[in-house]
Amino acid sequence: MKKIIGTAALCAAVLAGGSAFAFECKRGEASFDKPGGFPERALTMIVPYGPAGGSGQVAAAMAEAVTELTGIPINRDHKPGGSGTVGMTAYMAAPADGYNVLEHIDDASSAHALDSSLPNPAEDLIPLVVSQVTFSQVYIRTNETRFSDWPSFVEWVKAQNGKATIANVSKEGSMERVTMGFITDASGMQIQQISFDKGAPRYGALLGGQVDALFEQPGDVRNFLDAGQFKPILTIFDERPGAFADTPTHREMGMDFDPLLRFRGFYVHADAPADRVEWLKWAFQRGYCEDSYQAFNDSKFMTVIDSYRDTDGAKDLIARSIDQYREVYKAMGLDVK
Amino acid sequence: MIENFLAGSAALFGDPFTIGIFVFGVVGGMLFGAIPGVSMLTLAAILLPFTAGLEPAQGVMLFAVIYCTGTYGGAITAILFNIPGSAENAPTAFDGYPMTQKGQSGKAVGAAVLCSAIGGIASALVMMAATEPLANWAIRNIGPPEIFALVFFGLVVASSVGARTIWKGWMSVLIGLLIATIGQDPVGGINRYNFGMTDLAAGIAFIPAILGFFAVSEIFVQAEKKASGKYQAPKVSMTFPSFIELWMHKIAVLRSILVGFFCGILPGIGATLAAFMSYGEAVRWSKNREEFGKGKLEGVISAETANNAATGAAMIPLLALGLPGGALTAMMVAVFQMHDLQPGPLVFMLSPDLIWIVFAAMFYANLSILIIGVLETKTILNLLKIPFQFLAPLILMLATTGAYIGRGLVLDVMVMFLAGIIGYLLRRSGFSIPAIVLGLILGKIGEQNFAQGMQMVHYDLGTYFSRPICAILIAAGVITLASNMYRAFTSTKTSA
Repeated sequence: MKKIIGTAALCAAVLAGGSAFAFECKRGEASFDKPGGFPERALTMIVPYGPAGGSGQVAAAMAEAVTELTGIPINRDHKPGGSGTVGMTAYMAAPADGYNVLEHIDDASSAHALDSSLPNPAEDLIPLVVSQVTFSQVYIRTNETRFSDWPSFVEWVKAQNGKATIANVSKEGSMERVTMGFITDASGMQIQQISFDKGAPRYGALLGGQVDALFEQPGDVRNFLDAGQFKPILTIFDERPGAFADTPTHREMGMDFDPLLRFRGFYVHADAPADRVEWLKWAFQRGYCEDSYQAFNDSKFMTVIDSYRDTDGAKDLIARSIDQYREVYKAMGLDVK
Repeated sequence: MIENFLAGSAALFGDPFTIGIFVFGVVGGMLFGAIPGVSMLTLAAILLPFTAGLEPAQGVMLFAVIYCTGTYGGAITAILFNIPGSAENAPTAFDGYPMTQKGQSGKAVGAAVLCSAIGGIASALVMMAATEPLANWAIRNIGPPEIFALVFFGLVVASSVGARTIWKGWMSVLIGLLIATIGQDPVGGINRYNFGMTDLAAGIAFIPAILGFFAVSEIFVQAEKKASGKYQAPKVSMTFPSFIELWMHKIAVLRSILVGFFCGILPGIGATLAAFMSYGEAVRWSKNREEFGKGKLEGVISAETANNAATGAAMIPLLALGLPGGALTAMMVAVFQMHDLQPGPLVFMLSPDLIWIVFAAMFYANLSILIIGVLETKTILNLLKIPFQFLAPLILMLATTGAYIGRGLVLDVMVMFLAGIIGYLLRRSGFSIPAIVLGLILGKIGEQNFAQGMQMVHYDLGTYFSRPICAILIAAGVITLASNMYRAFTSTKTSA
């Protein structure tokens, strides 16, 4: 696949920490006057995924942090299904009064890139904060004997004539499938992607030897890394993060493409009252800095690179991602609407 | 093992606060499991943030207890009102509700109480004895091809449940499979049959469909009888199954424990498939298959033994490998993480006390099902004395709430009523509602695993037969299918 151009600044922006911070948490004002008494009751957070997954957990952690900070309870309303589209539709239909907020991931950006009739998270919504940004890696079992690092893995995969397998979430147009496309094109290997939509069967498939490798983000497999069961052999990011200093990046392995990132954040309707939006921005951005949220992010390897984007930083990240996905989809021959 | 178990028991019952958490989990799980739509998952999600303030062992133990009793809780409403509290209790309604109509509600509820406890306790004992080796065996030997083969086997058996003829049984299964294809396909994420409706992209949710097919269609049937003067209120029976009756089903109980345990141990599968597969096996091994779906005690025994047997088994991949088998066990991972722990091999080394408190709590939670179940049953059965004209709106209200509350979508309420109308019409024509529901639930699991399996074997179907477990299950399915067809042909000729 041809190299995707025009997005090299994305990773530079990631490393620089968007428009606001680079790793440290700048605590904003300790308090913020409630505009016209808002909020005078609990907020509702629509989460387009189940409570147990990555989105469910980040939503719970942020809700707890905001409540700690403001005393305002947040009810989480999980509406899973359709790769996040069910929750997004429900949110767009909810009153734009500031009492309803949305958690969503980069899937919303890639969905808009493919079909512009779907909401653009940077324009149809206002990002309150992006609180998790992470990269992907390729993992093998630590006790693997057939290969031990990326070069030997590629060599082994090539010898299998397309019969090697990697567990993934390889839905059409997903970040995972697109990135794997970049990797196979750049490395000249053929590998069968096995799509598991749930984490447990995906990780079990690698542990049990049902597949040869796994494509995942480090926070999701932290327990397997800590237990010494999985080992990263490739980091798909422009620089080696400190926590994975021994793992080569895709660029070091001769693959010249811009990495796609996984990010999770919180949004409010674009037409919500401006003063209420300002209060929500303060609450969620300050919530990110609460100790409980920082501890949560740390436990998820979300402090390895800068995970924070304020509203402007988030808009920039989303806009760049949409542009990047759109170019990729066109290059893949998908019907970009 | 016994020493560890006793130490776990002492830690569990040595602290009044821990006992309080245990009792709360037992009662809360039962209550939330019994109310349709508001499942044990709802309770777990509510409690999740509060577990941060508990000791790690208390938090994990609370969730484990809720898992055990919540899985049982839905059986009561399934038997008495044809309202399964959750998907894993749906097969309980297949025969439990007809037993209620025949005035055998006491027997059905008694069997559910006893068999849930037996299944859960047996599973807890195996879990204590062999968690690590079993988990390692399962992930090495069971992959998507094997799970698909298991589902194929289950679907073959489903066709012989409750329909007037085997052909209508197969049509019912196919209707269920067709409904299961609505929404995004589980591997490629391509929308199918959603007619541009975003909410349908998530597919047809199990609970509204089950509530519609079971509860709503039943109200229509009973209302028709009431209008035509043929309605007879179910007799309230307090007679529990006798020891001899239960002893006669010992093989079914043993088989259901094995099936439940096997399904529970597979990451991502869990109690729902266990209950359906076990029910299917009961039908397959029975000499009187035609009696299933019409009020056969063995149907209740098989489903309830298996779904609780799956609870202990589901803890095995979670604790030994850090692989949750379903939504509730996934939340347990979050409980571990809140306390800077990770389920997996290290937890056995680093926190053996925690593990044995959890094991002991699950054992006693299943024992509690027996004690509390027997005590509550006599009270609950009196609900059947409510006249139909009051009971029917109450059930409709509960079902509507249950359908809506899961995802907060009006679509789900519409699906429930549509399923009720379709179910009512199909029942009049001799189609099988249990077979439709089996097709719907197994179809989703089966399609996903078939697609994953095909990717793994590089689209060479023959490779399925080079995997021994897979080959055995497919062969058993084909033999059962051939035998059913033969029986159907010969009975058609005889009747001609």
